[in-house]
Amino acid sequence: MDEWKPGPPGKPFGARKKRGWYLAWKYRLTNQRLVRRLCQTGAVLFLLVTVLVNIKLILDTRGGLPEDGEDLESEQDYEETLQHQEPPRRGAAGPRRVLDVEVYSSRSKVYVAVDGTTVLEDEAREQGRGIHVIVLNQATGHVMAKRVFDTYSPHEDEAMVLFLNMVAPGRVIICTVKDEGSFHLKDTAKALLRSLGSQAGPVLGWRDTWAFVGRKGGAVLGEKHSKSPTLSSWGEPILLKTDVPLSSAEEAECHWADTELNRRRKRFCSKVEGYGSVCSCGDPTPIEFNPDPLPNNKVADVPVAVIAGNRPNYLYRMLRSLLSAQGVNPHMITVFIDGYYEEPMDVVALFGLKGIQHTPISIKNARVSQHYKASLTAIFNLYPEAKFAVILEEDLDIAVDFFSFLSQSIHLLEEDESIYCISAWNDQGYEHTAEDPALLYRVETMPGLGWVLRKSLYKDELEPRWPTPEKLWDWDMWMRMPEQRRGRECIIPDVSRSYHFGIVGLNMNGYFHEAYFKKHKFNTVPGVQLRNVDSLKKDAYEVEVLRLLSEAEVLDHSKDPCEDSFVPDTEGRTYVTFIRMEQDNDFATWTQLAKCLHIWDLDVRGNHQGLWRLFWKKNHLLVVGVPASPYSVKKPPSVTPIFLEPPAKEEGGGPGGAMEQT
Amino acid sequence: MSKINKNVILALLTLTSSVFLLFQLYYYKHYLSPKNGAGSSGAKGSKVGNNNIQWRAVKKFLKLASSQDMPVFLIDPLILEAINRDFDQVKNSSYGSVLECKYLCAKRDFTTFALLDHLLKNEENWFQIAERMGFQCLKIQSKDPRLDGIDYLSGTEIPLHYILKLATHAIHLVIFYERSGNYLWHGQLRLKGHSDRKFVPFRKLQFGHYPGAFDRPELLQVSVDGLEVQIPKDLTHFLEEVPHSRFIECRFKEARAFFQKYHDDISVEAMMFQKNAKVLLHLAAATLKDLGVRFWLSSGTCLGWYRQCSIIPHSKDVDLGIFVQDYTSDIITAFQNVGLPLKHKFGKVKDSLELSFQGKDDVKLDIFFFYEETDHMWNGGTQAKSGKKFKYLFPKFTLCWAEFVEIKVRVPCEILNYIEANYGKTWMIPEKTWDWKSSPFNVQPNGIWPVAEWDDVIQLY
Repeated sequence: MDEWKPGPPGKPFGARKKRGWYLAWKYRLTNQRLVRRLCQTGAVLFLLVTVLVNIKLILDTRGGLPEDGEDLESEQDYEETLQHQEPPRRGAAGPRRVLDVEVYSSRSKVYVAVDGTTVLEDEAREQGRGIHVIVLNQATGHVMAKRVFDTYSPHEDEAMVLFLNMVAPGRVIICTVKDEGSFHLKDTAKALLRSLGSQAGPVLGWRDTWAFVGRKGGAVLGEKHSKSPTLSSWGEPILLKTDVPLSSAEEAECHWADTELNRRRKRFCSKVEGYGSVCSCGDPTPIEFNPDPLPNNKVADVPVAVIAGNRPNYLYRMLRSLLSAQGVNPHMITVFIDGYYEEPMDVVALFGLKGIQHTPISIKNARVSQHYKASLTAIFNLYPEAKFAVILEEDLDIAVDFFSFLSQSIHLLEEDESIYCISAWNDQGYEHTAEDPALLYRVETMPGLGWVLRKSLYKDELEPRWPTPEKLWDWDMWMRMPEQRRGRECIIPDVSRSYHFGIVGLNMNGYFHEAYFKKHKFNTVPGVQLRNVDSLKKDAYEVEVLRLLSEAEVLDHSKDPCEDSFVPDTEGRTYVTFIRMEQDNDFATWTQLAKCLHIWDLDVRGNHQGLWRLFWKKNHLLVVGVPASPYSVKKPPSVTPIFLEPPAKEEGGGPGGAMEQT
Repeated sequence: MSKINKNVILALLTLTSSVFLLFQLYYYKHYLSPKNGAGSSGAKGSKVGNNNIQWRAVKKFLKLASSQDMPVFLIDPLILEAINRDFDQVKNSSYGSVLECKYLCAKRDFTTFALLDHLLKNEENWFQIAERMGFQCLKIQSKDPRLDGIDYLSGTEIPLHYILKLATHAIHLVIFYERSGNYLWHGQLRLKGHSDRKFVPFRKLQFGHYPGAFDRPELLQVSVDGLEVQIPKDLTHFLEEVPHSRFIECRFKEARAFFQKYHDDISVEAMMFQKNAKVLLHLAAATLKDLGVRFWLSSGTCLGWYRQCSIIPHSKDVDLGIFVQDYTSDIITAFQNVGLPLKHKFGKVKDSLELSFQGKDDVKLDIFFFYEETDHMWNGGTQAKSGKKFKYLFPKFTLCWAEFVEIKVRVPCEILNYIEANYGKTWMIPEKTWDWKSSPFNVQPNGIWPVAEWDDVIQLY
């Protein structure tokens, strides 16, 4: 072998002058056949070893044998068929850099088509009046927001100004009028339209048709306008066709620091519009809140179910307040969305929470009720260890001490079988009737709107009997029925820990909200220490009520309870009044009294054995129904219970008795 | 000239290959020799396995887990078995006092850890950090089976498995989910169409071939080969669970179709029976678990699980199966102690044993004992008034886990064979008139008990 070690290895097919050197070697070797043979064998052996080492190396580094993967394939086939359908991505890809946009405006129909896809079409009668606004992503053509502002009606133009101001610069804004959009379009709104570059918007007249495409803070891309010739007729239907050049994705995005939070923010902001400063490039509002932890938090591992529909702006506001509440545990929150809506899901993803979608079953109230059932079953499946679940809705603000309130009271659910639920909402807790955030009540009605459900109640009693889809029942009305409630009571705070801000809803409208929900008191004080929680247990509460009745001063029953002077101008006193209540279900006088007091009067709420507790002029007021209430024994013989006549039929009371709280 | 060429070429080849060989030997040594050097590498304290690839991967992973506040625990059966053999020693050894790498350095492709799902936080974050630390990561996710039982819900996919590869060794992290019935569940590892099937030798995984169910283990912090790691406290129990952990999900979709066709019985009696049967099953399961006796859902109860994921309202009892070799007379006393008196006892341990207990509200608990023959299994039946014997034949089966009315129970893994043996191919059609002596598909007359034995084999209470 020694002979085979030439000095420098050199270049094998090297320069010509080395050829002689090779020949010399060769000559010498032919003369030594044996050596040559030896070397050849040696070389072959060498090659063999190399090959073997190579094979071993390959085997060791690959680890697996080639056939390993193939057995798995039979199992995978099924997966491939099932899971390979990824949703198609709209507009994102492709070389096309221009969008072809069509906008139609007329008396009875509006539509907007982007690249041949209809993104808005409204020809329903007596609906969708006003200015329809669509926001497109300038880089992808994706629809980011779709709104309609009924600027025929008052204040809607303010909402439009608010919305358009929130749209990020550079976005493509499309406007089109259906029926009438000018009657309450005030100067601020017109000025804003002018700033968008619109010629016709600021001078929009009665029953004009108008279509507009423009870039926020940029050029107008197309506009058409047709004046209404007379008061009784409409402008001509108009169809605006225009090309919208797309800009690069880079320009359309903000340059936030690359953190996990900002990645979520970026994903959100490239899809939807209308959430204000959360997408602001310069100073975006935080999406993580890190409220103070709650010492000795007993509800940290109680799952929270947020029941939602397609009101993503509400959901956004709700989740913000929920995630800011002291003691919140985001890992326990699940949002259940009724329907395959994308935008609520985007909001959920923005906050890094879990979201679950639910294919709608049935209609109206039954749909809500089926959604509730599926959500409640799911929350207990997802958290099998949990003994309770917190149920929230998308149109609630959550008080800063919501979890603190629950943490201090949740043991009641474990220790007292006679408790049906703990609710954060006091139906009768208005600005003028609620005072003491440390005070709790027992009530026979189930308020909902942020409440705790015991798993055993749900699994053993409610779930098996839940109203089926064909019964068009409200789930909450059903839960309030005596067959379900079976004499049990709910614990509520005097000052609500949730605030119902929803104006748009199944059983809700602006008037109704203004009358019954707007002036509700909502606790904003953090860390309230609840007073004497154990006195809420069944027997202890009776002792407490009797004590209150004993020390309460009896009001002057000769006065009209609807007069302000009925309760003296004192503070911090306890008063009692007796009203007529013939049987357990006789609420005639109470309802009239509730009307006078401007509290919930659509059905009876907040009673406990014919007793109502509330605050009036900062005094605690007890109202006892005589003789139905067992507390009637506390009535001095001289007092005649107040009787109020139900009004004659012209006073219907509110927007129809069928209205129920949602 | 041809000879010259041959020699020259040969020489050149040899040269290049020797260069290659040297390079490869170097490479081989650098990357692979630590694998084999486990026994001999024992050195100083915690540096024990420093140049062992498995040990380094585990150490790196544990570092990642603790920095991300993920309390993972070791579930690798190979390592746990070794630890279990000298458990006392491991339990008492403290950090850094080890002299040799006994457990973690053995040659293998994977080290398997587990993590409870609710402790899996900050997912995107730790994944990135893992990649920065040099791991190649693979995440396997799937739809959430806990939502499957509920109509029309679709959640986001949940992570089931993570594989973190460091050079030639991979950490397999199994995510355990809590399920209703107080047990932990993990999913099957299924690769999707586009994933890299050669990423690691998937066939050699210890977990993930099937979904699995486990009792929630209590954990214990120990020091293994100089690394602090959590392991199940009751190792023997955990290791016994592993080979029999396969879990079968209820067929919720088919059950929904069944109810669409036949409608659920929502009468008060039906709901009362379902509630009572559920309570009875919970009680029976808890009692048998305490005794350590394996049982499975049999007959109508099993059919209810398989066909409609619930208790059949018109069945009148709860049926369980037990292998006769697991029979102990303690069963009778234990049931009596929890308020279930013996109603009748038919047969004897050697032949056709059957126990029947009286539950509350007229619900009966029937326990059939199964006998194993070379090619089939069977259980017996006895008619009290005539002494006639019956035999019900089943193809051989093994036992798997399932969830039924919020409880973890066993069912035959070969479930369709079992159901079809018992009920024929028409098992999916509800049958309200049922005679145990003639209706079952697999019943055979089996002679008659000798009258002399009647006192013993037909006991009615």
